[in-house]
Amino acid sequence: MSVKNVLAVALGILSAIGGFVDIGDLVFNTQAGATFGYQLLWVVVVGVVGIIVYSEMCGRVAAVAKRPVFDLVRERVGFGAGLGTLIASQIVNLMTCAAEVGGVAICLQLLAGLPYRALIPLAVVALVLSAWVLPFEWIERVFGYLGLGLLVFAVAAIKLHPDWVRVAHGFVPGHHVGGSLLVYLYFVVGLLGAAMTPYEVYFYSSGAVEDGWGLKELGLNKVTSMIGYGLGGFLSFALMIVAGTLFLPRNIDPQFLGTPPLAAADALGEVGLLLALVGILFAVGGAAIETCFSGAYNTAQFFGWRWGKREQPAAASRFTLAWLVIFALAFLVVMTGYDPVKLTEYSVIFSVVALPLTYLPILLVANDRSYMGSNVNGRLANVLGVVYFVVILAIAVAAIPLMLLTNGGQG
Amino acid sequence: MSAPSHPSRALVALVALALLAGGCGAGGTLSAKALSQESKSLQSLASEGALLARNAHAGRTTRTFTRVHSEELYKAASKASTSLRAAKTEPKLEPKLRKLTFLAGKVSGDLKRLGHASKTEQALLAHELELAARTLQ
Repeated sequence: MSVKNVLAVALGILSAIGGFVDIGDLVFNTQAGATFGYQLLWVVVVGVVGIIVYSEMCGRVAAVAKRPVFDLVRERVGFGAGLGTLIASQIVNLMTCAAEVGGVAICLQLLAGLPYRALIPLAVVALVLSAWVLPFEWIERVFGYLGLGLLVFAVAAIKLHPDWVRVAHGFVPGHHVGGSLLVYLYFVVGLLGAAMTPYEVYFYSSGAVEDGWGLKELGLNKVTSMIGYGLGGFLSFALMIVAGTLFLPRNIDPQFLGTPPLAAADALGEVGLLLALVGILFAVGGAAIETCFSGAYNTAQFFGWRWGKREQPAAASRFTLAWLVIFALAFLVVMTGYDPVKLTEYSVIFSVVALPLTYLPILLVANDRSYMGSNVNGRLANVLGVVYFVVILAIAVAAIPLMLLTNGGQG
Repeated sequence: MSAPSHPSRALVALVALALLAGGCGAGGTLSAKALSQESKSLQSLASEGALLARNAHAGRTTRTFTRVHSEELYKAASKASTSLRAAKTEPKLEPKLRKLTFLAGKVSGDLKRLGHASKTEQALLAHELELAARTLQ
């Protein structure tokens, strides 16, 4: 591999790390840490391996068959069920996008002190302009690199001196201590949902098709998905460790987006606080653009419209209109004043319900020689794919009942 | 086309139920469990306020962050205080409700002051809020 390629891979990985965490990860990891300490760290590992398995698969399908996820959804599950999946995924995408837009406005408010409602239109305009003006790879890079400010939580986790033996125990599933079993299970579902959120694979596979991936990108696909998502998961560990060390002993239930940065301030002072806020701002802003594009990709691919960020807006007018409408609707949702953190909790839990119909077509096509030729799933990918599909089915069934029974994790 | 419409309707109903479950519960007659939840949530607000005040006093936060975040905490505490003042409970839980209502008012007042407090006041508020959090435990 040439130095240029190594650099390209390294840059891709950096942007993947910064782009891994979104508002769902922030909310669920800090709440889980504040409720159960380090006991749920193993769930993050399970979730990260799951998103690696399926991202690698859909990146490979995109590279070999040149087909993005939603193209396959319609073909594999038929028009009726495909339309159901489209509607469900669009609702979840809209909720997630609205939560991320609200998150951007809150971050701006915590940085600048201006009124929240005045900052919502500003946030939407800034995001729409970024999505319109910046080329595809620059969107990933700008938001991914600046999202690396979140690494401050890893430093904070060390500076707060957690009990590392207990942290290590958290990577082994076992009996939980404190809180009810139902709340524990609710967080298991929420953490898996936050890690394996469907918009990430929609965006990843469509991005791969847009980038014109071919067989020679199969290696890049493996490296980016494994190292990028793997190291991104590292940020989730950091958030949970910070919350378990600082918030749990004080009985703080993090219900605000300003709570995690407070931990960075406690450990590292003003610089830590500002890095955390900037990191959250760009991680959440990047995720807002990704969810919005995912929604437009899904719709365009399902109805067979011309699509792509690389296309001239007029040439892919329905695709362009679709992502503009999603931003407009997200704006209206946030302007109702509904709490973005609550909205995040609902969007993550509802996204879990949509997981099986997103991941099943990927698994089927990645195994189909007529699409994939010799690049079909190997034994390991199949075993992991099937095991994860069973897990996904189980959490999809349990998600909403657990949310209702635990009053959204409140017990 | 007909097959997915039933799950969709069920999903809509569940969404509505979930939103109701999340949004309701303010005011009215409070059970022992509801009182305990109110107490837990107030304790969290007081404790977070204390942590914010301590960090603000130590110069580890920006003035804007302290003002905006304490305002958020204040709004939540104030909402709890208002709903507790209007709430009723069974006679044997009345003393607990009165104590909780008093503490909610106190926490809410402290959080309101925190946004514009001087360094000396921040230290005092950190202490007061810690005390309130311990009392609510």
